Amino acid sequence: MKTTIYSLCSILVLLVSAGAETAMWGGSPSRNQVSAEKNLPVSWDTETGANIKWTAELGSQTYGGPLIVGDKIIVGTNNQAERNPEHRGDRGVVMAFNRADGTFLWQIAHPKLPAGRVNDWPQQGVCSTPYAEGDRLYYISNQAEMVALDTEGFLDGENDGPITDEESTESIDADVIWTFDMIAELDVFPHNLATSSPLGIDGRLFALTSNGVDEGHIHIPAPFAPSFIALDQQSGELIWDSSLPGDQILHGQWANPAYGVAGGRKQVIFPGGDGWLYSLTPDTGELIWKFDCNPKDSVWELGGRGTRNNIVSTPVFYEGKVYIAVGQDPEHGEGEGHLWAIDASGKGDITATGAVWHFGNKDYHRTISTVAISDGLLYTADLSGFVYCLDAQTGEHYWTHDTFAAIWGSPFVADGKVYIGDEDGDIDVLKVGKKLEVLHETNLGSAIYTTPVARDGVLYIASRNTLFAIAADKQ
Amino acid sequence: MSTSYKQIPFATLIVLLSISSARSADWPSWRGPAQNGVSSETGLIASWSTAGENLIWHAEFIGRSTPVVLDGRVFVIGRRGEGIRQQGVVAAFDAENGSLLWEHTYNIFHTTIPFNRVGWASLVGDPETGYIYAHSVSGLFLCLDREGQIIWSRSLTEQFGRISGYGGRVHTPVVDEDLVIISYLSSNWGTHTPGRHRYFAFDKRTGEIVWISTPGGRPLDTTYSVPVIAEINGLRLLIGGNADGSIYAMKVHTGETVWGFKLSRRGINTSVVVSGDKVYAAHSEENLDNTALGRVVCIDATGQGDLTTTHELWRYDGVFAGYSSPVVHDNRFYIIDNSANIHALDATSGAVQWIHNIGTVGKGSPVFADGRFYAPEVNGRLAIIAPDTQSATTLDLEEIEMADGRPAEFFGSPAIAYGRIYLSTEAGIYCLGDKSSPFKAETTPAEYPREKAPADAIPTHLQIVPAEVVAQPGGQIEFQARAYDDKGRLIGPVDAKWSLNGNVGTLSGNALAMADAPGGGQISATSGDLKAEARINVLPPPVYSEDFENFAVDTTPVWVGAGSKFKVRDLDGNKVLVKPPAKRGLHRANTYLGTSDMTGYTIQVDLLGNKKRRALPDMGLIANRYTLDMMGYHQHLQIRTWAAELRMAKTIPFTWETGVWYTMKMQVELVGASALIRGKVWPRDEAEPAAWSIEVEDPLPNRTGSPGLYGYSPAEIFYDNLKVW
Repeated sequence: MKTTIYSLCSILVLLVSAGAETAMWGGSPSRNQVSAEKNLPVSWDTETGANIKWTAELGSQTYGGPLIVGDKIIVGTNNQAERNPEHRGDRGVVMAFNRADGTFLWQIAHPKLPAGRVNDWPQQGVCSTPYAEGDRLYYISNQAEMVALDTEGFLDGENDGPITDEESTESIDADVIWTFDMIAELDVFPHNLATSSPLGIDGRLFALTSNGVDEGHIHIPAPFAPSFIALDQQSGELIWDSSLPGDQILHGQWANPAYGVAGGRKQVIFPGGDGWLYSLTPDTGELIWKFDCNPKDSVWELGGRGTRNNIVSTPVFYEGKVYIAVGQDPEHGEGEGHLWAIDASGKGDITATGAVWHFGNKDYHRTISTVAISDGLLYTADLSGFVYCLDAQTGEHYWTHDTFAAIWGSPFVADGKVYIGDEDGDIDVLKVGKKLEVLHETNLGSAIYTTPVARDGVLYIASRNTLFAIAADKQ
Repeated sequence: MSTSYKQIPFATLIVLLSISSARSADWPSWRGPAQNGVSSETGLIASWSTAGENLIWHAEFIGRSTPVVLDGRVFVIGRRGEGIRQQGVVAAFDAENGSLLWEHTYNIFHTTIPFNRVGWASLVGDPETGYIYAHSVSGLFLCLDREGQIIWSRSLTEQFGRISGYGGRVHTPVVDEDLVIISYLSSNWGTHTPGRHRYFAFDKRTGEIVWISTPGGRPLDTTYSVPVIAEINGLRLLIGGNADGSIYAMKVHTGETVWGFKLSRRGINTSVVVSGDKVYAAHSEENLDNTALGRVVCIDATGQGDLTTTHELWRYDGVFAGYSSPVVHDNRFYIIDNSANIHALDATSGAVQWIHNIGTVGKGSPVFADGRFYAPEVNGRLAIIAPDTQSATTLDLEEIEMADGRPAEFFGSPAIAYGRIYLSTEAGIYCLGDKSSPFKAETTPAEYPREKAPADAIPTHLQIVPAEVVAQPGGQIEFQARAYDDKGRLIGPVDAKWSLNGNVGTLSGNALAMADAPGGGQISATSGDLKAEARINVLPPPVYSEDFENFAVDTTPVWVGAGSKFKVRDLDGNKVLVKPPAKRGLHRANTYLGTSDMTGYTIQVDLLGNKKRRALPDMGLIANRYTLDMMGYHQHLQIRTWAAELRMAKTIPFTWETGVWYTMKMQVELVGASALIRGKVWPRDEAEPAAWSIEVEDPLPNRTGSPGLYGYSPAEIFYDNLKVW
């Protein structure tokens, strides 16, 4: 039965991508971080090297990826490793590694925006995890450009275009296909950093622009600039844009879109900077439904103490429902959170009618982590360091696990296990199911702000500064 | 039983006092009398509860920093009020029973720092004068006496171009001998045009500037590392983390940089701790030489110059300790990391001995006292820890909650004095101690060394006091030249040859008769081979008009903060002041063109906003710390004083066109306990309308404030025909 579902999923993915392999943040357009991988390791040891297949040095802060693209691993990081001596100092970097042995292949190193931290925060690197299809990667750089790269870099001996005048064309450099500058083309004012991980559906790329408030945090310099966009995957041209949250943006817009079909309608779900979820028609950007993810009596306060939250997490599409939790910039500290299961078949403002269940207030805290749902059980983590298991249908709460450190990344479910990393650098491995069972905890030596991925029995985890390939018996 | 119990610590106290001049009783600055987070108090509690166990008193107050406990009183800085009445406040409580003795409230203005981050910089007390110094988020620098009377004040933003970010990190002052020293980011005029992290040393009694020091380069962040004063290698040093990512040691009497140590690619927020000749520093961001994030270093502080590669004794990499300041006690180094783990290291070797978790977010700093650690955690927790050689034990972990049940924010550190522990939190001030132990406020007078140079000392440094003058035209001011030896010790006032650079007045010896017209310049003193300079800023007079025709193109009036943001340009034969889009950094700027004590004036200017693609500017005037803003994108007219909270703001729809000259007029009238703020805007080529366009009343008025111009320029703004009267 399970096999059938997985096969069906594979067929759907193949249909969507017309044959070319796709990869993206969350694994699939539904953004549900559940994998059919088997024989994944439970324990490993960075001191002795037990079960560590290889490691690779990243920058000092890593938020993008890891992403498995064929025989490569792609990571968004910063330039603290300065792998290219020509490109020194603070930059946003995307690195490609050989998946088999961790050999470094190529990188791109974007300079920082001259406006400084308000648009491009120091040392944060590239936070967007690329969408990959065939031999193309699409991501949003720290300079707020959508960038299309050749997955092979210049190692295939070709400079693919239309862009062929890259400044650097050594084998270590990236082969840029096209770029779309959201600041120059759309007057977007990214707050702190443009971070969205794009999603490709039917030849279109969907992303948030990260348009937000200025350095004073109350003024929105570009309320008419788009928050949500669709670009032509082939050409990089704008298909449609939507500035829906407009002047209601509370802070930034750092989340990712998700895709699914419900109520007979294809829909792309965009988390708005106003704390609302927007479902838009992929072809036109027209609104299908919207849902306010904050209680009506909640209050936004500058500096982080209020009860009204943003959405930093990514929505997950699962069996006709959308699951989303709210949170704030981690700098704002801990606070009350809300997790929603929303019926995605409705139309218009479904705030009053669309909620299937709600979990939150004092039981749950602000989060920037995304839920994972497997076999009807939902796993979610919050910034206060708790991992929860709930019934995806009813919201019934089964258990809570305390990791004793802030969690930024998301649970990854595979092989009967839940993997979750925290700010102390611990990876907790929990057993799936309605009963809490901690299988193991291993420290990776540096904070984990990303979500693990797996392929062929190998687990790939990016800590702040190191990429680990981990496999039982080092297969 | 209880008698003998108390005799032992008392004896210990006497021994301690006899070997150290540091006072053990008071807690005059945020890291305590020895500036190292160690208290010699004994008989402290090992557990408590908000319900009453060992809770001697609790007082209503919203605090975010560390109390000062001085001469029987607890002094705190914080915030208070709701809505239109939101303010900053300094308060004094009786240390014995928590009764409120006085409050000094002040307005928040010209800042983007939100209400809940007000009061993040701690107070400092001077045991000698009893004065308390406060640095508000708006840049008011206040000297209060113990009764709450203002002795002197400076508006650092309006007079010296202080800038603050949204994050709320502003610096805590330190007092040593005759100086009170405060640092901040500033961008002003002349050599102070580039934004830098600068240290300003004021005469603690008068507020006169004694020296200004700019030890570092381009600031990478807004930071709040509180400097520490220590005698090392015969030098009395001020050692602080800089916004450029380095640690600098300066001679405390002169501000001369002795050494620097490049630590991080981001600004430094933690304070150093000094033990003997060693300086311990920490951060949680990028290192300069590897991809680990964060580091603790132990520096041999006896060197001179750049010590980065030559004087590092050990390092501990990958520790993520960027906010909480360290402690060294009994050859062990302690620090709380950003995730609230306490790390204990061998202070000699840097070897890790244990790591102990107390929560999830580490911001406040721990205090070691009576064999225990009193360690704060942001989510309302105070952990009391018994440290050992191999591990630590949590004796008590109490969580302070707000009325609605969420954890109270706890950003400050414990202050320990008179056998009691004082905490300032979002949920109030807590005094913890043994209720059966009688209260005794031990106060010993400050003993600053004030070491003078020997009679045969050779002068190596010349200083002019005041180091910067900001004044209206026409006044008279006398300067003094002081010589110091190579140890930074005062030799005394010296005769000097005085000269003037810039059109700022006429000089007669050391006396300057200030010019009648505004401008900036320097006064120089020469004595032997030594030379010193002081800055003179003659601001525009209270009645003033400026059409910019006498300025050269690409120059900037010497107004506070105008330097890097505004320039004179020729526009078809008419000279105007332009605020172009910023090539680097922020589009937003204020410039101030009068002293901060001005009031009762009207200000008027012609202004024009251009369009750059979809981008439109915001532009306006400043009077009495209020801003009148023509908002481009939003097509609004707004009066506000505090951009982050808009506590008294009024906003009305207001349609205006780009590329068209308008005239804007603004006036603040103080009426009884309130201020009436009025503005009008009309097309320049039309007659002035009789009615004001916008009027608002502020029941908590700004009684004074510099006139100025405001601009937020994603597209160009032009200003012309400025008048103040």
